[in-house]
Amino acid sequence: KFRVRQKVVTVDPEELADFDQELKALLQESMEQRKLELRGRPALNMTIPMSVFEGSGKDHHFGRLVGENGEELLDEENGEQREVQVKVLVKRGNKQQTRQMLIPSDCSLVQSTKQKEAAELEE
Amino acid sequence: EETGDDDGFDYGQNDFTEHACKYCGISNPACVVRCNVASCRKWFCNSRGNTSGSHIVNHLVRAKHKEVCLHRDSPLGETILECYNCGCRNVFLLGFISAKTDSVVVLLCRDPCLNVNALKDMNWDLSQWCPLIDDRCFLPWLVKVPSEQEQLRARQISAQQINKIEELWKTNPDATLEDLEKPGVDDEPQPVQPKYEDAYQYQNVFAPLIKLEADYDKMMKESQSKENLTVRWDIGLNKKRVAYFVFPKEENELRLVPGDELRLRYSGDAAHPAWQSVGHVIKLTAQEEVALELRANQGVPIDVNHGFSVDFVWKSTSFDRMQGAMKNFAVDETSVSGYIYHQLLGHEVEAQMVRNTLPRRFGVPGLPELNASQVNAAKSVLQKPISLIQGPPGTGKTVTSAAIVYHMAKQGQGQVLVCAPSNVAVDQLAGKISATGLKVVRLCAKSREAVSSPVEHLTLHYQVRHLDTSEKSELHKLQQLKDEQGELSSSDEKKYKNLKRATEREITQSADVICCTCVGAADLRLSNFRFKQVLIDESTQATEPECLIPLVLGVKQVVLVGDHCQLGPVIMCKKAARAGLAQSLFERLVLLGIKPIRLQVQYRMHPALSEFPSNSFYEGTLQNGVTIIERQTTGIDFPWPMPNRPMFFYVQLGQEEISASGTSYLNRTEAANVEKLVTAFLKSGVVPSQIGVITPYEGQRAYIVNYMARNGSLRQQLYKEIEVASVDSFQGREKDYIILSCVRSNEHQGIGFLNDPRRLNVALTRARYGIVILGNPKVLSKQPLWNGLLTHYKEHECLVEGPLNNLKQSMVQFQKPRKIYN
Ligand SMILES: [Zn+2]
Ligand SMILES: [Zn+2]
Ligand SMILES: [Zn+2]
Repeated sequence: KFRVRQKVVTVDPEELADFDQELKALLQESMEQRKLELRGRPALNMTIPMSVFEGSGKDHHFGRLVGENGEELLDEENGEQREVQVKVLVKRGNKQQTRQMLIPSDCSLVQSTKQKEAAELEE
Repeated sequence: EETGDDDGFDYGQNDFTEHACKYCGISNPACVVRCNVASCRKWFCNSRGNTSGSHIVNHLVRAKHKEVCLHRDSPLGETILECYNCGCRNVFLLGFISAKTDSVVVLLCRDPCLNVNALKDMNWDLSQWCPLIDDRCFLPWLVKVPSEQEQLRARQISAQQINKIEELWKTNPDATLEDLEKPGVDDEPQPVQPKYEDAYQYQNVFAPLIKLEADYDKMMKESQSKENLTVRWDIGLNKKRVAYFVFPKEENELRLVPGDELRLRYSGDAAHPAWQSVGHVIKLTAQEEVALELRANQGVPIDVNHGFSVDFVWKSTSFDRMQGAMKNFAVDETSVSGYIYHQLLGHEVEAQMVRNTLPRRFGVPGLPELNASQVNAAKSVLQKPISLIQGPPGTGKTVTSAAIVYHMAKQGQGQVLVCAPSNVAVDQLAGKISATGLKVVRLCAKSREAVSSPVEHLTLHYQVRHLDTSEKSELHKLQQLKDEQGELSSSDEKKYKNLKRATEREITQSADVICCTCVGAADLRLSNFRFKQVLIDESTQATEPECLIPLVLGVKQVVLVGDHCQLGPVIMCKKAARAGLAQSLFERLVLLGIKPIRLQVQYRMHPALSEFPSNSFYEGTLQNGVTIIERQTTGIDFPWPMPNRPMFFYVQLGQEEISASGTSYLNRTEAANVEKLVTAFLKSGVVPSQIGVITPYEGQRAYIVNYMARNGSLRQQLYKEIEVASVDSFQGREKDYIILSCVRSNEHQGIGFLNDPRRLNVALTRARYGIVILGNPKVLSKQPLWNGLLTHYKEHECLVEGPLNNLKQSMVQFQKPRKIYN
């Protein structure tokens, strides 16, 4: 295609510091607000529909990324998968739903589980 | 009574702006989220641009908003991000966790849900909580970061601008970034620049200028009401009522042009009720009469001839289309190719070649062979995504353009769009392109369908009426009925409209080339068309936003043809002109370093006439494609001082005066001498249509016309047929003989209109066989360019004075040129 000469983006350090300060304040405020909100609340109850775990059976592993022709998509360089498929569990009103989504395989969310999978396999 | 037929596209129809990032305009659904605060609901993207945090995080932090919703076309669909367990929607507290051994993840708030003991017993891996906002950005796999290309093409917003607009939104949630830049009522508008950060900044500069020009145009035209007009009535071929009347014109007022809309009124009398009707100007007669085709056929007081009034009906169409094109340029990333986008804004882009096979020969059926510089131009243009062709007077730019369009059309990249700012130029080019055998459709504004055109057979409305197939008989039957009765029943009218629209589409789709004015490119009848290849002729006479209209239909290859050494676009509003609206896109691209390819052989002027313009305006590069022999005027007995040089400067020392209207100038001795020159030409066998009299002032124009009619020694009719007009109205045209009356002869004042070198260039390059200039050298010589011209004439013994039958070399002293002009 073609190339556009890029400007070097420099973020003003003062602006950065100011932004970080506001961000921190917002976080702090959120946490405190949260404590106030929860003071009088009853115990929390997290329901996870077991159905989402069903279907994947005993063979627990992260979904593989599959291309249009059914072949597995692998990272060209080291044969590793760059992205893996996950199910995101969300609530819509009172209903639970899952949605498929791709996340990078080096995301911490995946990494630890993968390590465990590997460990379990070795056992 | 509005039919709405003249409307162009409604650029707002597309909803791509609805979910565009309020900061930068990026609208990729995978990259944007909506702030979920009820009073806000604005969309932002997840790119950092020039700031520390991504746009959405920037907004949330600066506005202290904490909830967001994903786009319906994102992988998760329209979803408000919230804690799966407690429903907390504060994105600063949310993060993902995954089931220990499963590919299932949920959003959980860090406090308290992450710390609930019961969870630990379940399948969840709580140690790997992954916050939603990390490094001042949303997780890039949840909300994608726009690509580099997308970011480069977006608005380059700064942290300061973000803070300012956030502040403004607190009091006015609907404010836009444009409001930040908007000049106050009395402020000078922002001037045009060579380069722009992005298309939004471009729009910020040009939109107010177009608004200024539109307001001025409206004010001017609507104040041009005339009372007490005398009307004569006629009926057109299409059975429509036509009113003829003289519309008196004053200096600096816009001339009426065919297609303009006027309202004719009669206030009523004992025998007639008050009446009014709007209509379109279909022509302006040689007697300076306006022919107005009325929309209403009924109730017209045709037995009355006196006491009518006329108002101008101002239309914002062309200005709306310019604004629309600029908006499209900014928000629709398919409007022009990425390469052209960055080129037009003056960004540094690595040169790109178009990979197309070049034709083996550049000659084209139906056109004269191309000369070397024309072939060179065509060859270069076909290989570049964006190019400029400079066509000095008489160098065959129409033929070259037609040849280029022919080769483009043969490349099979779809239909080619060919535009020019003026209808005359579009007609000319359409005719030449059609001569090559290509299928051409000339699209005219609805308001101009009754205006006669030299290429009528190419016009869409003509082709619709004459398409000869059996399926069209229904349409023709209805058309005939409509012509005869003036109107149709509402059901027939509906049927007629649908059939007509379908036929129009069919004809337009089957054409190789579509020709229309720049403004016409936004016609509703082209709304579903895309054009990768666009050629704009006379582009140096269009404003930038006007030039943009044909480009934002998906252009990948554009050719701008023009001559920035001749007159540019006419801008009526001084404020807008001062800010640079009169600079064409062609000129700005030249400033940015795009080198125009110059056509170098001129076929118009006698070599003696082209010498000075070539040296003064084209660095001496113009070559003569005509010889002295071919421009010799055998049998014409005219007192040229030098037999081989059909030119002279006729020294005039008579005083200028202010015209009767008080707004213009005239010079009686010059006018008297113009008449003598015209008479000498006519007596020697030249016919009136060969002669053009150019004068920059309306006062002098009117005076010359009058003077010749009253004092000319030959038949009056001969003088009436001679065109006397301003420099501007002669641009793009030629005459065999030109008489230029300069008028200004005041020692103490400037020389006004003739101070512009581009206007002088145009005035000097209209004549094919001979030119006579009348003026006062004492005054004109103060200006360096005129000083050069006078010196040139003097050196060639063409500076003369005295009676026409006894011209003598003039010994008048020149003044030292002053460097006060540019
Ligand atoms: Zn908000
Ligand atoms: Zn953005
Ligand atoms: Zn929670």
